[in-house]
Amino acid sequence: MTVNPAIVALVIASLVSAVMLSYASAFGWRLVRHWDLASGSELQVSLERHTYLISTLVAFVLALQAVSLLLFVYNADRLAPLFVGAMCAVGTLNTSEFGFPALLLKILVFFAASSWLVLHHLDTRGYDYPLTRLKYRLLFAVLPLVLVEAYLQLRFFLALDADVITSCCGRLFGAGRESVAAELAGLPPAPSMVGFYALMAATLAAGALARYWPGMTYVFTLLSAAAFVASIAAIVSFVSLYAYEHPHHHCPFCLLKADYGHEGYLLYLPLFAATALGLGAGVVRPFAEVSSLRSVAPAIARRLTDVSLGLLLFFTLWVTYIVASSSLQLLGNEGG
Amino acid sequence: MIELADVRKAFNQGRPNELWAVRGVTLSIEARRATVLRGPSGSGKTTLLTLVGCLSRPTSGRVRVGGREVSGMTERFLTELRRQTFGFVFQQFNLLRGLTATENVMLPAYPLGLPRQRLLQRARTLLSSLGLGDRAEARVEWLSGGEAQRVAIARALVNDPQVILADEPTANLDSELSQRFLDIVRDLKAQGKTLLMTSHDPLVCEAAVVDRVVTVRDGRLA
Repeated sequence: MTVNPAIVALVIASLVSAVMLSYASAFGWRLVRHWDLASGSELQVSLERHTYLISTLVAFVLALQAVSLLLFVYNADRLAPLFVGAMCAVGTLNTSEFGFPALLLKILVFFAASSWLVLHHLDTRGYDYPLTRLKYRLLFAVLPLVLVEAYLQLRFFLALDADVITSCCGRLFGAGRESVAAELAGLPPAPSMVGFYALMAATLAAGALARYWPGMTYVFTLLSAAAFVASIAAIVSFVSLYAYEHPHHHCPFCLLKADYGHEGYLLYLPLFAATALGLGAGVVRPFAEVSSLRSVAPAIARRLTDVSLGLLLFFTLWVTYIVASSSLQLLGNEGG
Repeated sequence: MIELADVRKAFNQGRPNELWAVRGVTLSIEARRATVLRGPSGSGKTTLLTLVGCLSRPTSGRVRVGGREVSGMTERFLTELRRQTFGFVFQQFNLLRGLTATENVMLPAYPLGLPRQRLLQRARTLLSSLGLGDRAEARVEWLSGGEAQRVAIARALVNDPQVILADEPTANLDSELSQRFLDIVRDLKAQGKTLLMTSHDPLVCEAAVVDRVVTVRDGRLA
């Protein structure tokens, strides 16, 4: 096992998260079974008192997961020089079979956690605990993800061995191979670009329309999720090529490196945040009819949509800037 | 207006020094009336007052204000409710030394963000209505007991609450000042305020202005 401060921090964070969420879920089990707002029993009053503390604890843990995702990717990139054959985070993640599953699960936990945090935020705006029971039911779904993610991450770190010869990003994202990554890399740039901009335009339009027709929030949420997938595909398919000014370098991780001015962070941070907030808007919207949330839920959904829109717009403009400022003439070459 | 349903309150629960201050009180307090909780020291009347005023939470049971269940509310909503619904007059007045009477009166209204001049005007009007117009700029440590109490009352009224809660309001006053306090109670009642006081002072409990006396003993209604 390779040990550095980031690995120690990530392992501690995941263990703390796993323990705290397990405790919170045990409390949640009691709450789901016995919660009765009409009752003034000692148990109910005790649950009401504890839910504030436990919910704060869970919010802290889930916010930690977001930071953990960022640190995990950053650390994988920083560790690359230690492994023979590794050029970026891909090489590090490829040192064992646990690397990419851990990353994918971290991304899943990030979106699950952000949705839960939005729900929690909304719940605290209602005077009568309108979503408390639902909130804890959903925690039961998040807990297994966090536990498996902690396990995979630990196995990944334990398997890190400097003697392992790993494969670089060119192998994983090389067009013509049989993998999802290779399929994405093999997408022709021009149709990818058209698809990307069309989906972004539709998402931005849905978000703007949601200000006037609240029902459009659901469409915006669905399009946000689709835009996330399309954006990752676009980064692999054509954005990376323009950023590296190389027609065959599709790696979405090398963008994070200092060699490329850490451009990737300016792509991924707004994209992940925009998607999380876009999903959050859809999470909030159904509760606009709950009496104690009637005055706050639409405003929160609108604010989430607005910030998400701003971040998506920034992401789209940044992609456009990378493409426009690149010396690579990809589309012209295609025709020839 | 205010309802307590089987309210119980324990301190240091589960420890050797556990104390049940309130043991299953069910009580309804009518709006725009003056109600007194009477009982000896340690009977639980002040605890009951703090439960009504949302300064503490029951161990079990429910408190409802205006039909809304408040005993389980989170602090975010309780703060708002306390500020808008209740005005407190504490036994020791709890005025902030070093500040003037006007500044003390203005304090509970600061979080509302009202324009300072409007707030200043309101504080001075309240102090004048309680006969303290000429003492408005005096520091509170220079005031007599009766004056300090009237500043405390003005402070309780600055946010125009529906309910005034007063804990042993005449405990530190002589008979003349106690009578003056009861005159203020009569005026507040005439303005439509609900008053809930704790007291074991016969002058208060037997006053004509008091509509109802509830006797508390050993944490229960007698």
